[in-house]
Amino acid sequence: MTLYEDLHSSQLFLSLFQLCMTTFGAMAACLGALYYMRRVRLDRPAIGRFNGRDVVILFGFLGILPALYLLLPHWALISLLALTFITALSIGYRPVVSPGLLWLGIGLLIGADLWMGQHMINAVFPWHFVWAENSLVMLLAVIAVANLYIQGGMQLKHVALFAGGLAIYDAIFTLVWPVSSLLLREFVNYPLFPAMGMRIGYDEAIVGLGDLLVYAGFTLAMVKAYGRRLMWLALTLVFVFGAVVPSLSGLVINYLDERADVVIPAQASFGPVALITYLLLRHRYGRERTMKEFLDSDDFVRQAPVPVTEPAVAPEPEVQPAPEPVRT
Amino acid sequence: MLETGVRQFRMAMGMVWGRRLSTRNLGRLVDDAIATLHEFGEPGADAGNVIEGPFSDPAVRTDFATRAVRRTAKRLAAQSPFYARRFASAGVRLDRLDLAGMRAIPVTLKRDLVERADDFQCADVARYLATRTTGTTGRPAEIWLSRYEMELWPALGALAGLIRGELGQDDIQQVNVSSRSTASVHLNVAGCRLIGAACRVLGIVPVDEALDGLTNRGATQLATVPSYLAELEVAARRRGMGPDDFRLRRIDVGGEVLSSSLARAAREMFGAPVRDLYALTEAVPILGRPCSDGHLHFDLNTGLVEYLDLETGEPAEPGALATVVATPYFPYRDCMPVFRYDTRDVVRLLPDEALTCEVAGVPGTGPIEGKADQVLRLGPTDVVTPRQLVEAIEALPTRPWPARFRATVHDGRIRLTLPASTITGLDEAEVVRHFAERGLDPDLAFVSDEEATALRLLRSDLHETTFAAGPALIGSLT
Repeated sequence: MTLYEDLHSSQLFLSLFQLCMTTFGAMAACLGALYYMRRVRLDRPAIGRFNGRDVVILFGFLGILPALYLLLPHWALISLLALTFITALSIGYRPVVSPGLLWLGIGLLIGADLWMGQHMINAVFPWHFVWAENSLVMLLAVIAVANLYIQGGMQLKHVALFAGGLAIYDAIFTLVWPVSSLLLREFVNYPLFPAMGMRIGYDEAIVGLGDLLVYAGFTLAMVKAYGRRLMWLALTLVFVFGAVVPSLSGLVINYLDERADVVIPAQASFGPVALITYLLLRHRYGRERTMKEFLDSDDFVRQAPVPVTEPAVAPEPEVQPAPEPVRT
Repeated sequence: MLETGVRQFRMAMGMVWGRRLSTRNLGRLVDDAIATLHEFGEPGADAGNVIEGPFSDPAVRTDFATRAVRRTAKRLAAQSPFYARRFASAGVRLDRLDLAGMRAIPVTLKRDLVERADDFQCADVARYLATRTTGTTGRPAEIWLSRYEMELWPALGALAGLIRGELGQDDIQQVNVSSRSTASVHLNVAGCRLIGAACRVLGIVPVDEALDGLTNRGATQLATVPSYLAELEVAARRRGMGPDDFRLRRIDVGGEVLSSSLARAAREMFGAPVRDLYALTEAVPILGRPCSDGHLHFDLNTGLVEYLDLETGEPAEPGALATVVATPYFPYRDCMPVFRYDTRDVVRLLPDEALTCEVAGVPGTGPIEGKADQVLRLGPTDVVTPRQLVEAIEALPTRPWPARFRATVHDGRIRLTLPASTITGLDEAEVVRHFAERGLDPDLAFVSDEEATALRLLRSDLHETTFAAGPALIGSLT
């Protein structure tokens, strides 16, 4: 047995490991985001709702993201990532926990990620903890950002178009110009690496933040647009075309290319399905519900009002009697 | 949402730097607001800041106003012949001008505007639309407006109207103001166009025609003047109508004193709240809005409002009567701007206490009391405002709306001339007691009802005829 063979697990194992990781990440993101959307209302700006041009802007940002990774110095990149995640977490969890707890939690999570990314990646064993901690940050961020978009008015149409565009983008930048593979190899264990993942021995399974955002956004948008009855359809599509097909396609790719460390463009399978699903649902159910209609429906869980107890002693009136009008 | 953020940023930067705002950008923001309301049913939580501004902090208010006044004055010195001369003769340094220092600049009077209108025209702006004051208080003034102004104001108004929930796409707005009030009419029409609401411009037509427009799935919004509203209420009462006959959800009036009796009666008749707004042709786009406590709050974004003592011309003390002096800021006014324009509209300043109304962050005053030259002086400290007289007369059980009267002072006592029908069914003692309960002790005189109109000119007297109003009768039917 050569050293290479010792470090190299079978493609079947790698694919199953990837399937488990992707399924766990995708389901945690979708169900977590759904739980959040049905119970928590995020603050939003006075004017503005997500529209088609915002999808284009997001795509433009996505286009320059690899350049930022490659061009920015290490400290600037980490600072930018830290700022992004701090913002996402603070916006997302401000309505949920008290300000003190919020900033303590964000400080601990981001601080731990930065510290672990610098100090715990020189040995193999602690990588489990590095990945677990990073994955928790990413999961919380995905739940917050997906809700920020969908509660901000992003529709299933927008998610489907975004996923469709991402399918082309992913395929090009993974298979034709393998920028994604380059980035993955270069930055995989940087602090705040934008992915959920885990490691077993020398094998790593990773699911990207962008993919998780699309899965969570798709599930939220579908429930918002057409009701909770479609939740299982959304989750099934995410599982099959977002987890199973991309993960097991590694087996096919390995049959063609034995390198076994190929990055698989997950949106290449999920994007077209998201687009077709949207068109079919629109044909069958008509226009999507607005956020107001969603909030007015039974799909939104309203908090029971806190019963008001009568004070033992009547308080002093807060409003003083109006002064006598000035007579002239 | 991201795109809207960029647009709001552009608008905010325009306001901060004092550059002309992009009316195209504002129009798109109106579209964004419509989309927001469609998606969420209401604007976001900090909507107030978008339209009111962060003015609850007095230091912020002063800083904003100082920079805006300085910017406005510098431009006027360069572009307006009238103000170039005025600032030079006042000897003020415009780059160091502040709110206290600007008192060295004499107020601008309506007479200046009437007699030297061309000198107010800024050299760098082309004229687009002329609008005239109604002239009910004397010779009308003509104000030229630029195309930019006529695009800017409706967009700002539409944005504020949408965010406040005052005007929506399902609304039909009926406009019953004089058709010669071109700016007012244009603002209503353009605002409705931007929002996608319907607009019916009728003018001061025979009152039954206007009433027809309000019934049968008619208007949901009415913009008019108090005297015409009074005629509408009287006509509706005569026809036995009630709130179920209308689908109005808001009535906006301005330009005259609205009495509380008329406001209450109109609210009961039409089933909609009545808002007494303050706007003056010469000082547009500065707008005063009433709050639920009855104060008048001026918009601080678009201009500076000073309150000067009627006697001394110095800043008035709390509780005193004051004339409203308005300075619209650049870039909200650019064709024929005025600086320290003395409107001669009188308000009573509020006592020096913290406000508790819903717009407590914005300074307020009492409602408009009338024109300064119509304030009656009975003694050194004893004055009676037109509002006091209108309130007293319109509160009479005969409901003599709109109030017609002439008030003069003879030997320290008001002589109040009224149409005879004003007190029909009341004996003299009742009338005297009615006025006494309102702090008035007038010497009453009466004229026939045919002479009523001549007693006090009102905006509803600017009648516009229509062919549908019935045939004119020439000669005798017999």
